[in-house]
Amino acid sequence: MLKVRGVHKSYETVRALDGVDLDVERGEIVALLGPNGAGKSTLVSVVAGLCRPDQGEIRLNGIDTRAHPGLARQQVGLSPQETGIYPILSVRDNLRFFGELAGLRRPELERRIEEVAAAFSLGGLLGRQGRKLSGGEARRLHTAMIVLQRSPLLLLDEVTAGVDVQARKQLLDLIGALAGRGSAVLYCTHYLHEIEALGAQRVAILLEGRVVIAGSVAELVGALGGSFVELRFDRQPAGLDLPPGTVAVEENVLRVPAEGSPAVAAAELAGRLDRSGATLREIKLVQPSLESVFLSVTAGTSNGGPP
Amino acid sequence: MSLGRVAAIARQDLRILRTDLMAIVPLIVLPLVVMPFLRPAFRAAFHFGGLHRATGAEQVVPGMAVTFGFFLVMNTSSSFFREHMWRTWDRLRASAAGPAEIMLGKLVTPLVEFAIQFVVLFGLAGALMDLHVRGSWLGLGAVGCAFAVFLVTTGVAVTAICRTYMQATATVTAGALVMAGFAGALVPFALLPPWAQAVSPLVPSYWAMQGYKHAIFGGKPVLLPVLALLGFALLSGLLAAARFRFDDHKLGPT
Repeated sequence: MLKVRGVHKSYETVRALDGVDLDVERGEIVALLGPNGAGKSTLVSVVAGLCRPDQGEIRLNGIDTRAHPGLARQQVGLSPQETGIYPILSVRDNLRFFGELAGLRRPELERRIEEVAAAFSLGGLLGRQGRKLSGGEARRLHTAMIVLQRSPLLLLDEVTAGVDVQARKQLLDLIGALAGRGSAVLYCTHYLHEIEALGAQRVAILLEGRVVIAGSVAELVGALGGSFVELRFDRQPAGLDLPPGTVAVEENVLRVPAEGSPAVAAAELAGRLDRSGATLREIKLVQPSLESVFLSVTAGTSNGGPP
Repeated sequence: MSLGRVAAIARQDLRILRTDLMAIVPLIVLPLVVMPFLRPAFRAAFHFGGLHRATGAEQVVPGMAVTFGFFLVMNTSSSFFREHMWRTWDRLRASAAGPAEIMLGKLVTPLVEFAIQFVVLFGLAGALMDLHVRGSWLGLGAVGCAFAVFLVTTGVAVTAICRTYMQATATVTAGALVMAGFAGALVPFALLPPWAQAVSPLVPSYWAMQGYKHAIFGGKPVLLPVLALLGFALLSGLLAAARFRFDDHKLGPT
């Protein structure tokens, strides 16, 4: 459904995308991860046709986005990072507009509005103005406006930001159901736990404008998700001779790869602590997970903190 | 090009207008409020100039239509700025609607607003204030159409040039007052100082006033004013085409 090949995009002196390759198949959910500034939103914008790539090729359902931008746009539904609704119009009119743009006509349009409103728990709010919705309700409307269109490819950029736990689960279930009906979904998120809840078939980690690794959660954890010993100090430690692959999660928190036995690794570290000038407050073993994969992949980058 | 999508965008802007009718207050209500105050002065001016059958409406109705018509430039521009402010602009651009469809759809509502203003001012107010169109209603309509095209293309050009809503508001307000002054919309053209009369033909609203007056008084064709207005519209359109960027980021009212 989506094929991205060698896409480059720069803004003045900043290289936002540096040769991105990515595929999303029909019925597949691909989670796109990356630290702030990795290029996730730029990639989404380029695929959605909001900006042109400097170089590279994007095909949507086999359609070259450069050669046929109009046809390509009809394949995509974009839910951008920032909430965008018409605040002085009703929920129904917000939904109606995006349905009309997708070519829906009555009575199909009205049927879909009712259906999507029910799915997003907006059924009782159809007559309410957008400005009178709570933050979470507005966010649900924001996403519902795109889901209504049933586009072959959904680009969802942090759609659960600001949504409460219950609505988040509902939203993730709905996205899963859309993929089940054949939509391809590219899902950008900062919440790693959502990826499992979503049932994403693949995860791609974007770093400094490139997809550095992609695969199923199991594949990534198997390949890169080693155990870590996490050390929390009272302040930033100095002069520690730490093994390669150590990641500073926070200023005073280090994650040291525990190759082989985690117990041996912890014992070795304990012997070096008296030279650090900092007091150890906590030590714990971190089991292999998507988070440990993410941290090991992003180690050493300027934005390599938690996603 | 899908007329369905153009119509969808136009309908959406009409829904917004219906929800917030304040947008057409400056276009329609303000001229109606001002006209009764100015008409006696204009009637006196016409009588002083030898036009004893004139009611003053021949000046005040087209004058206020031209002066307050400039708010249409702001309304056109606002329809773009508010999409940025509401963060719906990128959503619209990422929809199935292409740039030409978005642009055409966005111009429909300002043209509808102009049509309402034209009918109310020349029809209703004209009737209440004894406006007698001795020339041609068709000619009056032709001038109105040409002026409307100029105003909406100028609205797009203003949007293209200005980065913030405040810049657009300031530009349009200043432009409206200056143009109304040079056009002879605020005071009869014959009473303008000679230097202003010399500059006036360079100002689009002058041609709108001339066209309306030719149609009202009769005896002179409206073709030249219509062509002049379409020429200015073409210039605005070219400026808009050269400067309008769909991927620009605009700042709405703060």
